[in-house]
Amino acid sequence: MTSPRDRILGSIRDSLLRAQLPAEHHGPAAGPEIPVATPATEALAAQFSAALTALAGHVHRASGAAGAADIIVGIARENRAAAFISWDEAAIECPGLLAALAARGLSRVTYDVSSDAGRRLSEVDALAGIGLGITGAHAALAENGGLVLVSGPGRGRLPSILPPVHVAVVAERRLRPSLADLVREEPRLLAGGSNVVIVAGPSRTADIEMTLTHGVHGPKHLHVVLMA
Amino acid sequence: MTEGALAFHRRIDAALADAGLRAALALTTARLAGGRAGAFGALPDAEPSRDAARRARAAAVARLDTHLEQFERAVTAHGGSVHWAETAADARRIVTTIARERGIRLAVKSKSMATEEVELNAALEQAGVRVVETDLGEFVVQLGDDRPSHIITPIIHRSRQDVAALFREKLGATPEEVADIPAMTAFARRTLRTEFLQAGMGISGVNLAVADTGSICIVTNEGNGRLTTSVPRVHVALMGLERIVATAADLTAVLRVLARSATGQVSSVYTNIVTGPRRRGSVAAEGDADGPDELHIVILDNGRSRMLGSDLAEILYCVRCGACLNVCPVYRAIGGHAYGGVYPGPVGSVVMPGLHGVDAWAELAQASSLCGACRDACPVKIDLPRLLLAVRQQAAARRLSPLWLRAALPLYAAVATRPRVYRWAGRAAARLAALVQHDGWIRRLPGPLAAWTDSRDFPVPAARSFLEAHLARKGGAR
Repeated sequence: MTSPRDRILGSIRDSLLRAQLPAEHHGPAAGPEIPVATPATEALAAQFSAALTALAGHVHRASGAAGAADIIVGIARENRAAAFISWDEAAIECPGLLAALAARGLSRVTYDVSSDAGRRLSEVDALAGIGLGITGAHAALAENGGLVLVSGPGRGRLPSILPPVHVAVVAERRLRPSLADLVREEPRLLAGGSNVVIVAGPSRTADIEMTLTHGVHGPKHLHVVLMA
Repeated sequence: MTEGALAFHRRIDAALADAGLRAALALTTARLAGGRAGAFGALPDAEPSRDAARRARAAAVARLDTHLEQFERAVTAHGGSVHWAETAADARRIVTTIARERGIRLAVKSKSMATEEVELNAALEQAGVRVVETDLGEFVVQLGDDRPSHIITPIIHRSRQDVAALFREKLGATPEEVADIPAMTAFARRTLRTEFLQAGMGISGVNLAVADTGSICIVTNEGNGRLTTSVPRVHVALMGLERIVATAADLTAVLRVLARSATGQVSSVYTNIVTGPRRRGSVAAEGDADGPDELHIVILDNGRSRMLGSDLAEILYCVRCGACLNVCPVYRAIGGHAYGGVYPGPVGSVVMPGLHGVDAWAELAQASSLCGACRDACPVKIDLPRLLLAVRQQAAARRLSPLWLRAALPLYAAVATRPRVYRWAGRAAARLAALVQHDGWIRRLPGPLAAWTDSRDFPVPAARSFLEAHLARKGGAR
């Protein structure tokens, strides 16, 4: 007896023998753009800022942990957030940031979600009231104002999706022109974690009467702190 | 006329009589089509980008079997499971079994046309699993026991007052909670957040899978796709077997045109790529602190592999962006529900007969003037008019067209292939037309021809044919 898998694959093979597919011009299947000299960091930063601002995101510039912490504390105060969940400091690439935040009275809640179904529910539920999530980013994309977040040890998914406010602290050298450029540079990146997400702006919907509204499921506010 | 065609005509009449629907359709499709035009206008390499996306899809479909095998190996290597569903019933059984074996009581869903196609929700509810749609539009559809009317924006047939009434009646919302659209959106967020936190299973569709890495990509603007695939312990993804590309580079080629075509955005807010379940290290600190413990990917055939062997195969390149709906003069007039199937518009008029057979769905392909706007808007340049004609040819071959048409066409052929008879018939028709015309238009033809003039007015043909005029001019010039 054959399996459903074998029957489906068999049916595909039968069909491919007589498939009436249009003749294609088989060039290289990769993107259309030809790699050009990477623009200067400042040009990329300007393009990234313009793109993200147009999407209702906010871009800040800072240097050093104290400067970044001041900005983040301001954002937390504005949104009445007393605690945050975050990536580990090594993954944020801003040495001293967590200590600087703690010194300013903003405390980090750590977590490791259980695989036990019952415990998992109460653990995630306990994180539901946290008002702020802080992450780094693997890359920032000038073309669409996007942040590339790669999950892994110390780089959880929840800080960028669960709280109503997301702050990403990103070194300027992580700016890239576009996703296509990044994938050319690192062909295996998109499978580099169990979850890779490109975040371009705060959560939004226009499902009701085409009226743009922010923060329907993901964060309503997205801030990026570009580090010199 | 067949039963199906009669029912189609009744749905069209109902849609055309709905003034609110027509206004909403005009607004939404113009906004989306305008957004698309603007986004491609701003792209310096718009045509090469569409060509590259088409090449990526064509290359994947041409070697679909090997890509799916490669994909399965890669998913398994990352600790995920792959299931194969030949039919809609198989897909329902696979997903309900996964839920039952794990004692799942609540599942959250992000938007997925494939799950609509297999009618997954009803099957899960029957198996004792409560299912909650989390895309705002789909949530409203579910509350109203309704059906989506557009692939991308499912409730264009609903007004804000409709949504407010549903939230009040079904969820007990207060007047303040439905005061305006931002308030209703915030209310939906609060309501659905509770469901996300309590759900044992997240169910998603798949926009595109990547063969060589075993990744699946799910794009959303709301973020419900991320919550669905990150918070519950089990993630189940249902993908049509054609939704695959070879490599990450090919994925980026398609992503470059996908959101631009769907909504006019450069990219969606969340381009979410999942490769296997949460990763575990040898010690906790080396693993992921969150993410689903199980990932199940269900590969759905349900007529697709058969369609691959037919003259409709090119429709398998489709990435379900909805651009062809927004530019179609027929969709813009009648909306999604009139088509009667899960997939409306030009793409649906090919996919529905392709998946479920031409006998029940051929009439959809008649609802097209073959103007080609869909082909021009398609991000992967699918020749939709050619495919619509192919559906019509299949229907004709199965003698599904009306008897009078089948009788009349050979007669027309006999006339049109004999120049002398053709010229005589043309003169006779012009004279007859002069008898039934009114103010230069023919609005009503007698007998079986009345079916034609029910929906069309013809200008009266000129008294002298082009050929006669041409010959006369040549004679005069000599």
